[in-house]
Amino acid sequence: MRRYSKLYWQYFKARIKVMMEYRVDFLIGVMSVLFVQGTSILFIALVFHNVDTIHGWTFYQLLFIFAVAMLGRSLEHTFFDNLWTLGWQYIRPGNFDRLLVRPVNPLFQIIAERVQQDGVGSFLVGIIVLFTAIPHLELHWGIAEVMLLIVMIISSAAIFLAVNLFFATLSFWMVDSLPVMYAVQGMNDFARYPMQIYGKGVRFVLTWIIPYGFTAFYPAALFLDGSGFRSIGIWTPVVAIVTLSIALLFWKRGLRSFVSTGN
Amino acid sequence: MRKYWEMAKSQIQLDTAYTAWYWARSASIIMRMLIIYAFWHAVYENRTTISDMPLDTMITYIVLATLLGNYVSGVGGQLANQVRDGSVAIELMRPYNLLDKLVALDLGSKISGTIRETFPLLLVAFLFLHINSPTSWLSLLLFIISALLGIFIGTQLDLIIGILAFWLHYVWGLRVLRDAILAFFSGVLVPITMFPSWLQMVSNFLPFQSMVYVPVAIYTGQIEGIAALQAIAIQLVWLVVIIVGIRLAWSFAIRKVTIFGG
Amino acid sequence: MIEVKGLSKYYKLVEKKPGLSGAVQGLFARKYSIKKAVDDISFVIDQGEMVGYIGANGAGKSTTIKMLCGILTPSSGEITVSGIVPYKERKRNASNIGAVFGQRTQLFWDIAVRESYDLLKHIYEIPQHQYEKTMDLFTEVLDLGPLLGIPVRQLSLGQKMRCELAAAFLHSPSIVYLDEPTIGLDVAVKVKIRQFIKEMNRSMNTTVILTTHDMQDIEEICKRIIIIDEGKILYDGSIQSIKDRYGHKRIIHFEMEQEGEFTLPESLLGKAEFTAHEAGVVSLSFSNLIITAAEVISEMLRFYHIRDLTIADSRIESIVQDIYERGI
Repeated sequence: MRRYSKLYWQYFKARIKVMMEYRVDFLIGVMSVLFVQGTSILFIALVFHNVDTIHGWTFYQLLFIFAVAMLGRSLEHTFFDNLWTLGWQYIRPGNFDRLLVRPVNPLFQIIAERVQQDGVGSFLVGIIVLFTAIPHLELHWGIAEVMLLIVMIISSAAIFLAVNLFFATLSFWMVDSLPVMYAVQGMNDFARYPMQIYGKGVRFVLTWIIPYGFTAFYPAALFLDGSGFRSIGIWTPVVAIVTLSIALLFWKRGLRSFVSTGN
Repeated sequence: MRKYWEMAKSQIQLDTAYTAWYWARSASIIMRMLIIYAFWHAVYENRTTISDMPLDTMITYIVLATLLGNYVSGVGGQLANQVRDGSVAIELMRPYNLLDKLVALDLGSKISGTIRETFPLLLVAFLFLHINSPTSWLSLLLFIISALLGIFIGTQLDLIIGILAFWLHYVWGLRVLRDAILAFFSGVLVPITMFPSWLQMVSNFLPFQSMVYVPVAIYTGQIEGIAALQAIAIQLVWLVVIIVGIRLAWSFAIRKVTIFGG
Repeated sequence: MIEVKGLSKYYKLVEKKPGLSGAVQGLFARKYSIKKAVDDISFVIDQGEMVGYIGANGAGKSTTIKMLCGILTPSSGEITVSGIVPYKERKRNASNIGAVFGQRTQLFWDIAVRESYDLLKHIYEIPQHQYEKTMDLFTEVLDLGPLLGIPVRQLSLGQKMRCELAAAFLHSPSIVYLDEPTIGLDVAVKVKIRQFIKEMNRSMNTTVILTTHDMQDIEEICKRIIIIDEGKILYDGSIQSIKDRYGHKRIIHFEMEQEGEFTLPESLLGKAEFTAHEAGVVSLSFSNLIITAAEVISEMLRFYHIRDLTIADSRIESIVQDIYERGI
């Protein structure tokens, strides 16, 4: 563990140096994500410009859900973005072999080989949105609540990671699972809105199959009075641990199959 | 002309080979439609109109805008990659105009996309989301003309990304930025009429609403009669301005290649 | 020391039918065909040996190397590398080995080469003093000095390969696998790279397994070669003995005046062998212990109109080619 954190730091330093090679790009990256996230907030603002509540939810409550989603996603995006490239950057061109002949866990190497600067942009927007929403929500913020929120955000990031890792792992069998990852990722937009607005089928999928509901709505609802979802929200960290374990086991299976069939 | 058509055809064939991406894209568009449907139903829970649009008009608008929004991107990214890896230099020696070639390939993609994706999805939208038919045959005709113009504007404007790649090399960020601007100002997310009036003013001076908002609003009847013809005329002006602007920027960028050798 | 016993690797190839219906059918009833990429091979390589592992494309070279590296599990048979079974303890094996896989880089594309080495130092946990010593040596032998501050993307192919080799040897591995280390390089760089490999072998007693199509590499670096074809070992022994055994073989390519049927002149029957007939070129092979080249040529000239001819020499290159084509 100690060795791996030290090693991660070395990778991280190298990544920072790459970023500094391309400062303008770094700025464009951060700005662009700021803008993308900004538009989704603007969208909500525009809708609330015309109506007062959506299915009983106020603008600021919705912003709070958005903030949790953004923060969780941005953590995952910043540190685990390289999983997206497993198929076309590692397995297809044979670079995965290069990782396997080193005395370090290959999953670690893939993750460490990239830090996605753009995530910083969405993290910033998430923070801004969070602090815009909180004063309007009449919540009591003690140390316990702050800690709980942090745990929820980390759990949200872990669920994003788990889902991505699971579908990235398919690349071991189908060379590049990028389209599948892309399609699945599209589902996380559902999670930013109150789950009551969806039909039973969608709710079931987002809760039990691909638990994106736990990346934003359920954990956020935990803090919002009278939402009726508190008892579900509290399970978020458990869901995170379970999904991540499943994804890691699946990864191990994929790796074993890759090593026995070659490519 | 013929060679560009052949290029477009080859792209159609190429596209049919990527079935995985086809299903992925279709799946995510269907999911987006589901979200749109649920979200707007919730928004309209306690009211009958927003910006003078009833729920069915709004859903029709958003669904069509989402589908049309898939067309406003183009091949700027591909051009950018060629600029980055230097193959643009080889392309420039070939007996065709590179920009036209890319546009032709893009046209091929869009034709196959229309047949393979848009039509089936449109059918799904009619059957399950109950979107409206056009108000009249005339508005359907005007919609098609306007949509084509919008698509051309989007395709041409997209080439800017590729041209900028001569100076910047992290083009991905630029593309994300473009996607965000387009999604917002083209009217994919909400109709421009829902903007506060000052933002509508700003939008009026930008080419983006010509890509999606104008055609779809013609379909749903937000823009009618003389206003529709006017809007189409403005689209035409934008198209000409953008084509000329892009060609100028391109010849300027190419000079950079020929002088510095890439 | 590498010990390989009865090693085999079979691939199951799924026979895919085209189209969607084919894909659906494939979900239920799959047809497999078995490909024997490596078929029951055995060899022992001692510490400090330099071995050329050669074969035509698809002969099973890289499958073998992958199994030795631990990134491919054998179907059957045993491998131990320095006492470790590579596919069972991949990571432990990995710290003993270095590898250069053709064109794939293990250096960071966008930052100075030095930074990549620095990272490798941490990955392989190389002690600082040893790292500095090795770097000094490499800088001198491979002339890395001027390259260290440059990002990989700006290096030429030859410069890149020099840096790549240094990366493979950086942690003083006891075994290094080199896959086509000189492909596409100019002669001066090739010479430098060969020198470096020999120097590493001499000073650190590194075992080197070299796969290449460049026989010059083999002749200059290796004392021993293993030739593999269709998954089986055709030859395992010293380069000298293969030369002694096959060095008397000659091949003459005749460019014929007229294309068409060719039959061996009766006087050459049993003495020379007709090996190939392509695009108007007839190739005859023979042993110069039995018949001289001059006799073969004069016999041919008696019966045919010959436009031109070339005599292939008996360098290892042509011997190996001969073995690929006709077996041992």
